[in-house]
Amino acid sequence: MEDFVIRTENLTKVYGHLFWKKKEASLEKLNLQIPRGSVFGFLGPNGAGKTTTIRLLMDLIKPSEGQAWVLGQPADNVKVKQRIGYLPDGPSFSTYLKAYEFLNICAKLLKIPSSERKKRIYEVLDIVKMTEHANSKLGGFSRGMIQRIGIAQSILNKPELLILDEPLVGLDPHGRQELKDIINEQKKAGTNVFFCSHILSDVEKICDHVGILSRGKMLCCGALTDLLSETGYRLVIKAGHDDIMQKFMPEASSSSKLSDGGWELVFKENVEVKKSIDELKREKPDAITYHPSKENLEDFFFRQIASTDKRI
Amino acid sequence: MNEIMAIAGSTWRRILRMKVVYFLIVCVWILIGSAMNYDILSLGEEKELMIDVSLLLNTIAIALIVISVTFEIPRELHEGAAATMLTKPLGRTQYLVGKFLGSVITAIIIGLIIAAGFFVLFYMVFGEPLIISLLQAHLLIIASSIPMTAIAVLFSMILPEMITPIITAIALWFSFSTSHLAKYGFMKIIYGGVLPDLDLFNFKSAAMITAGWSYVAMAAVWGAIFSVFALTLSSLIFRFKDIK
Ligand SMILES: Nc1ncnc2c1ncn2[C@@H]1O[C@H](COP(=O)(O)OP(=O)(O)OP(=O)(O)O)[C@@H](O)[C@H]1O
Ligand SMILES: [Mg+2]
Repeated sequence: MEDFVIRTENLTKVYGHLFWKKKEASLEKLNLQIPRGSVFGFLGPNGAGKTTTIRLLMDLIKPSEGQAWVLGQPADNVKVKQRIGYLPDGPSFSTYLKAYEFLNICAKLLKIPSSERKKRIYEVLDIVKMTEHANSKLGGFSRGMIQRIGIAQSILNKPELLILDEPLVGLDPHGRQELKDIINEQKKAGTNVFFCSHILSDVEKICDHVGILSRGKMLCCGALTDLLSETGYRLVIKAGHDDIMQKFMPEASSSSKLSDGGWELVFKENVEVKKSIDELKREKPDAITYHPSKENLEDFFFRQIASTDKRI
Repeated sequence: MNEIMAIAGSTWRRILRMKVVYFLIVCVWILIGSAMNYDILSLGEEKELMIDVSLLLNTIAIALIVISVTFEIPRELHEGAAATMLTKPLGRTQYLVGKFLGSVITAIIIGLIIAAGFFVLFYMVFGEPLIISLLQAHLLIIASSIPMTAIAVLFSMILPEMITPIITAIALWFSFSTSHLAKYGFMKIIYGGVLPDLDLFNFKSAAMITAGWSYVAMAAVWGAIFSVFALTLSSLIFRFKDIK
């Protein structure tokens, strides 16, 4: 058994066809290795290439370069899909089908034995709280109801790997909580989850691994605990102490001027800096406040994105 | 095979759930039934006229079912309904074959319903029971849905969504007119090879001449062979397509 549920090697996608190609790659040389047993949050601003990556993993679009493997098989392997659940971004299903009929077709495609189909379909309908709509046509469903049916079809086969493209979109507050519960349940059952979302507070709660993508390139990727502990402390310098600010500025990983004229500097874990800050704290206790800060995902995300914007 | 039939099943379910289909069938019956009233047109040949009208309208009805494929496949591809299916253990070729079979089976069902109505009307008006050669003529028309659907699937793969239905309709028209067009040498080049010779299936008033079961069988086999060719080509193209 492979250690990685998802692995990509130089995965690149340039949209277009034979006669016309986009100038910029939507995904550029992505090298991703997602270990077994993780809930992976895939983050990035609009147009970063998250959906593109997911479509490549599901073999809906073909890579311009590189290769991808899911559950140890090349992405274009048809059989491996039996062990995967997928929720597309803004799902759209055949409107003329009733919810039950649609799930029944999915169950047939997933080769669920006919004796178990009905039971399993009602199980998942119950999980997404859609049992009472089993015999209504999908065409009459609201955005959130469709999203729920989309989630239902993705867990129908009790997948080993669940790939969700913006699963929280369209759901009401209850729905969001229910989905988080579903993901947690899946995690407990040993399912690997890979999903992208813009709701960072939720991602932070659900995920143990994250990757941040921007303009088709991976900025950082790893266990959430490792990434967020990367920053050591936050130093707030009161207004009128610019000399202190100037002293520490070169070491700071980021700095911002506060509205009261003071400064806020953020440092990575660093013994030297820690020592001089401790010294300063003894000398001028009123000039600074500092706290070891564990960044939250939102700050981390903005810092990562801002740092690429500077580079460009 | 189960996967293919699951896709086929959803396809005929879609068509058979459209109320307009039943409206179409009833209209066809009414038109066939009223054909004998056009004595001015028929010049005393009411029977021939009714037969011709029934064959022509059955062809048109089947062609409409077939053309609906050229709406359905591109729509499913760009709206994402196909993506949901194709991310299950379903090969792209299986998806196309499923769509093809679903449409052919629907066309056959509807063709048979129209033909049955015609035979009832024919019996009521002329008191003549089922004439074998007429049955064969209708079956040929119904069998023509096989290569017609194959063309529709192929065109759905190679043409831009906007123009697929109209180009398919024109192609079917050409294919049915081969014997007339054959008079013009250059026309032969246009349809030759690429489009099937649907005139094989087209008897019209000639239906009164017995074609024989072997002819019906051969035409159906020929249609199937053409379909295998067209579907193989479609599947090769589909393999490289990006899907939303
Ligand atoms: N079918 C397509 N044809 C051409 N370009 C495309 C296509 N789909 C996506 N792109 C481009 O690829 C880039 C990445 O798009 P993608 O949908 O992967 O972003 P995303 O990270 O999922 O964004 P969002 O958060 O808005 O969903 C964008 O610049 C987009 O314009
Ligand atoms: Mg997206």
